[in-house]
Amino acid sequence: MNAHKNKLTSIDAFMALQARLAAHNDGEIPTIVIPAGTCCQASGANLLIRVAKRELLQKKLTDRVRLRITGCHGFCAMEPSVLVEPARTFYPKINPDDMARIIEAASKGEIITELLFVDPETGRPVEKQDDIPFFRKQVRTVIGRNEKVDPIRILDYIRNNGYLSLVNVISRGDPRFVLDEVKASGLRGRGGAGFPTGQKWELFASQKNGAAKYLICNADEGDPGAYMDRSVLEGNPHSIIEGMLIGAYGTGATEGIIYVRTEYPMAIKHLNTALKQARDLGLLGKDILGTGFSFDIEIVKGAGAFVCGEETALIRSIEGHMGEPRQRPPFPIVKGLYGKPTMINNVETWANIPVTIAMGGRSFAALGTSGSSGTKIFSLVGKIKNTGLVEVPMGMTLKEVVRDIGGGPAGKAEIKAIQTGGPSGGCIPASKFDLTIDYETLKSVGSIMGSGGMIVMDSNTCMVDVAKYFMGFLKDESCGKCFTCRKGTQRMYELLEDITVGMGTPEHLIVLEELALAVKDTTMCGLGQSASNPVLSTLKYFRHEYERHIHDKRCDAFVCKQLVGAPCQAACPVDTEPWRYVALVERGDYEEAYRVIRGANPLPGVSSRVCDRKCESRCNLGAGGGEAIAIRALKRFVTDRVDASVYRPEPGKTREERVAIIGGGPAGLAAAHYLSLLGYRVTIFEAADRLGGMLTCTLPAYRLPSRIAREEIESLLNENIQIECNRALGKDMTIEDVLGKGFKAVFIATGAHESWRLNLENEHVEGVYPSIDFLKKSKMEGIELARGHVGVIGGGNSAVDAARVALRQKGVTGVSLFYRRSRDEMPAYEEEIEAALEEGVRIETLISPVKIKVRQEEIETAIKEGIELHTLVSPVKIFSEEGRVVGIECIRNRLGEVDATGRRRPVEVPGSGFSLALDTLIIAIGERPESGTFASMGLEVDRSGRIKVDPRTLRTGLEGVFAGGDLVTGPNTVIDAIAAGKKAAQVIDGYLQGREVSEPSRATLPSVFIPPATVDDSEAGVAGRAIPPAVAPDKRTKNFIEVEMALPEDHAQSEARRCLRCDLAFTREASADQ
Amino acid sequence: MITLTINGLRASVEKGTTILEAARFLGFPIPTLCHHEGLSPYGACRLCVVEIGDGPGARLVSSCTYPAEEGLKVRTASERVIKARRMVIELLLASCPQSKVIQDIASKHNVRQQRFRQEYEDCILCGLCVRMCEEQMMAKAIGFRGRGSGRSIGTPFDIRSDVCRLCGGCMQVCPACQLRCTYTEPDKAVCGGCANLSPPCVEKEQFHDMMCYMSPCVACEIRKD
Repeated sequence: MNAHKNKLTSIDAFMALQARLAAHNDGEIPTIVIPAGTCCQASGANLLIRVAKRELLQKKLTDRVRLRITGCHGFCAMEPSVLVEPARTFYPKINPDDMARIIEAASKGEIITELLFVDPETGRPVEKQDDIPFFRKQVRTVIGRNEKVDPIRILDYIRNNGYLSLVNVISRGDPRFVLDEVKASGLRGRGGAGFPTGQKWELFASQKNGAAKYLICNADEGDPGAYMDRSVLEGNPHSIIEGMLIGAYGTGATEGIIYVRTEYPMAIKHLNTALKQARDLGLLGKDILGTGFSFDIEIVKGAGAFVCGEETALIRSIEGHMGEPRQRPPFPIVKGLYGKPTMINNVETWANIPVTIAMGGRSFAALGTSGSSGTKIFSLVGKIKNTGLVEVPMGMTLKEVVRDIGGGPAGKAEIKAIQTGGPSGGCIPASKFDLTIDYETLKSVGSIMGSGGMIVMDSNTCMVDVAKYFMGFLKDESCGKCFTCRKGTQRMYELLEDITVGMGTPEHLIVLEELALAVKDTTMCGLGQSASNPVLSTLKYFRHEYERHIHDKRCDAFVCKQLVGAPCQAACPVDTEPWRYVALVERGDYEEAYRVIRGANPLPGVSSRVCDRKCESRCNLGAGGGEAIAIRALKRFVTDRVDASVYRPEPGKTREERVAIIGGGPAGLAAAHYLSLLGYRVTIFEAADRLGGMLTCTLPAYRLPSRIAREEIESLLNENIQIECNRALGKDMTIEDVLGKGFKAVFIATGAHESWRLNLENEHVEGVYPSIDFLKKSKMEGIELARGHVGVIGGGNSAVDAARVALRQKGVTGVSLFYRRSRDEMPAYEEEIEAALEEGVRIETLISPVKIKVRQEEIETAIKEGIELHTLVSPVKIFSEEGRVVGIECIRNRLGEVDATGRRRPVEVPGSGFSLALDTLIIAIGERPESGTFASMGLEVDRSGRIKVDPRTLRTGLEGVFAGGDLVTGPNTVIDAIAAGKKAAQVIDGYLQGREVSEPSRATLPSVFIPPATVDDSEAGVAGRAIPPAVAPDKRTKNFIEVEMALPEDHAQSEARRCLRCDLAFTREASADQ
Repeated sequence: MITLTINGLRASVEKGTTILEAARFLGFPIPTLCHHEGLSPYGACRLCVVEIGDGPGARLVSSCTYPAEEGLKVRTASERVIKARRMVIELLLASCPQSKVIQDIASKHNVRQQRFRQEYEDCILCGLCVRMCEEQMMAKAIGFRGRGSGRSIGTPFDIRSDVCRLCGGCMQVCPACQLRCTYTEPDKAVCGGCANLSPPCVEKEQFHDMMCYMSPCVACEIRKD
């Protein structure tokens, strides 16, 4: 379509053109729509366009298939994408090779199912764009027009009812109409402050200051992570021109300026084209459409200073001065550009004007809330699945935007906050996601609407670092005129920097807060007044993170390098140096590697089998999209290969004080070991007939062979340690008894040995066992309680253990595991679940048992051999016959809202109950400490049976009595128990020597330099994570031989070579200095 | 004429009068640094902030730039103003502790300590020299460059300006580059903060409760000899 040379000289001429275009609107012809905004082009839209054009020409399809190149559609995570109209089929992430197929299919009106978007919730492909969850909840009155028009074709815009609002306004001949409509619409400025647009326009219309009156479109979009203005400018420039024309008509402005940053070349190009086309067509310039109304627009390019988004600075920038705000009043509306009345509105506000006029002010006001009408475009970015531009009606909750439209977190980490309003905005914690999005609500929680940036942050984001980032931005982008803004932002940045490198003191927080409030109060413009928001809002909602950085010198998000050191080491509760022994394995120095492991961890053989590998979950190699180093497998390789005798700690000189340890599990053993090395005489009181706690009582031998546990425990004992077995606290003795025997300190670590109950009828009949009892009987006495078909309820490690142990018992025909959430939420280790499934455990999730039930014919047939996982089920009833369990009734669940633990809450599906016949039922829904009698001895016990202690000192309320391990935390990992024991030894030593017990812990930075291996690119490219060999499932199901084996030496070495050696950042320099 | 209330006192001033002028006319002291009677108001140092308005709408504005408005309620020394002003002074001390003018202001407001990383800058970018050069000397030889922490004052491209007549007006108005405090020469002493301590600084071993702005401190240097 050629641009019309013929100027339209009357409204009738325009209407005739519009009617002609609308009549030619061949809605039936398939059209390939390719979004090609800056962001789309960056993901490869240009190539798609080239391929599409070639395809259409070569196959001579130009008559049957149309091609439309448009601006951004908003679903940036799925770029480059293709939309086929009129069917509105959406194809995400298109490979150019598939373009030909899409065109082919479009020409025949077909759909290529395998290229469609797949709904992650249902797993089914979605045909229509509007049915995709990302689009479904949006109301796209502004951004939605992007997909309809080619931004460089004015006729496209006119065909889609463009400039109709303008013509409507002009033909009425009443500027008052415009003001009334805009006022009735309740539209508020979209640039940030949210000043009512109608009020502003009315004020501006009443200004009679000489001849000139200016309209300015503020397109100086500079917030990090915000790009909605750019997308509107690029994708629909005519809507802004039309908006400004309507504004000029309504307010009597004589000239318009679009102030756009030079960093937006495509926006400038499209605006220039659009302005020229509008002028050529007689829609802009002198005597518009022959009505005598004149208005022209020019573009002024800004040099990209953030502060020039502030209106007075923007005006000075247009005038050719430095971009520096000045005192208001006088407000620009009275005295602005060149001293003349000037009205400034944001891009999105202008783009909303034609919509408002077309809809009518009243119906626009019906959108959104009463105080904030209409829709708002947000750029949803950060740690979220569906990044992109979303347009939602005001009043939608943050939760809906994040979960429903945004699709939840991008990775496994939980979303913890959302940052709105750019550097001037604040962080809103996830606990406040029920809040609605409107000007007042956001302001009430210390953030602002701003221009519409929404940065999603998850638990891998450090809020102190975020505040530091924004402060770094602001200290560079402050104009520097106000002393408190220039210096204040710099000083806040310095304070935050101190905190992130571990030099923070409590004083820092006081000064930071005082300064932030002073900067907010004493600066002249919006930039300075809101510059403190990132600090104040994070201080308000995430003060604990600041305090962690200051008091404990820890960054839980593993972001602040100086506080983390090597992430694998920082993640380890006992401060092992995985980077170090991995490097030593690579160099073949296995004995030294063993000494490194053993130096930090008294139970290395046990840990190398059952540790939950916090180190691997934090490995930078895994975080960077690769596979984490198999650190535990390497530890196993070392501990299997090296004799424990290479590490022989010498006990220190014997001391007078005696210490009692109650509980001989990993926590108690670790405490006893380290205290004995310090020279204290220690007595361990153990309730069972052997030491080891869960290690020797319940952990199945196929995971941890009894010999390994026994030998390792024995190696910890020495002449300073006495053992008294079969002595249970509360039953055989009290704390007073112990203290009465001359012990100066007591460490209680009796663990969590009591199973939670379902609280269902018949739970105590024969054949129903708590998992702990079941596992203990099996491991300690060799008694096989399970028979027939076994049901296991629960999703944690002890549930999976129970299921796999049951499978190994003789009389068992099959095992089913029932879990109330889905498999992704199961807390058990993934590899244990995998192994269980391999062995034939059936897992049923999202199920809750309703009742335990009598055997029934119809369900009997449903039972097959092997173990099954039933997820999303909850038990509701247990059935028994002659005092023995015969079945359960369950109800199916679906996943509902996210609960306090960050997992989605199971919600029962009414009427979904079903029954299962079972011969044995094992209940493994969690454990709690057996602490029923502890309260009477003066200890503080919470509702879950846990003992309350000071987390820094492990002190209980009783003098000289300490507690740790599962007894304090609830059921937890072996390594955390060892860590508690280690810490207990430290604090008890401090207590007995009269030293200050609490000392700030700090992640130890790597200090030993080990030369890195040279890895060439060919090796680096192919190396994948080493997987330890395992005994085949058919060879292991009826015995207890250890399933996982150690890595062979060559595999271990090549695995160690994959390590990124994060330690070198700290040690290389030090070694170079020497 | 415009009627406004300053610290509860009603005053009628001409249109275009700033709050600072009105307050000073009534005799209320407001400290200033970047303000100069012969130069246009600029509002850079923020020392002259006063509180206007009531209730939640109350806010601080720089009195040197804010025009008197009909019915405006002004408080020149409310708690909020004093708190903010003291922080401004603290920031000034942290950047430019050797300035006689800043020391005087600090002493007057009893700010004796700053809690930031100590800097010794020779310019606080108050812009007096730039305005002096432009408005009084009609030269425009110097101006601001850059923004944020990179902002500075100088001639274009740091080349000696052809329009500069070396009049010295810029140095005459500069609050930052004037002589530092010299306690042992009482006739030249400025703030006297150290002299008013008990015992005076020369007799005290070390300061814990007060930071001395001097580095090197003249008094301490003398004591060492």
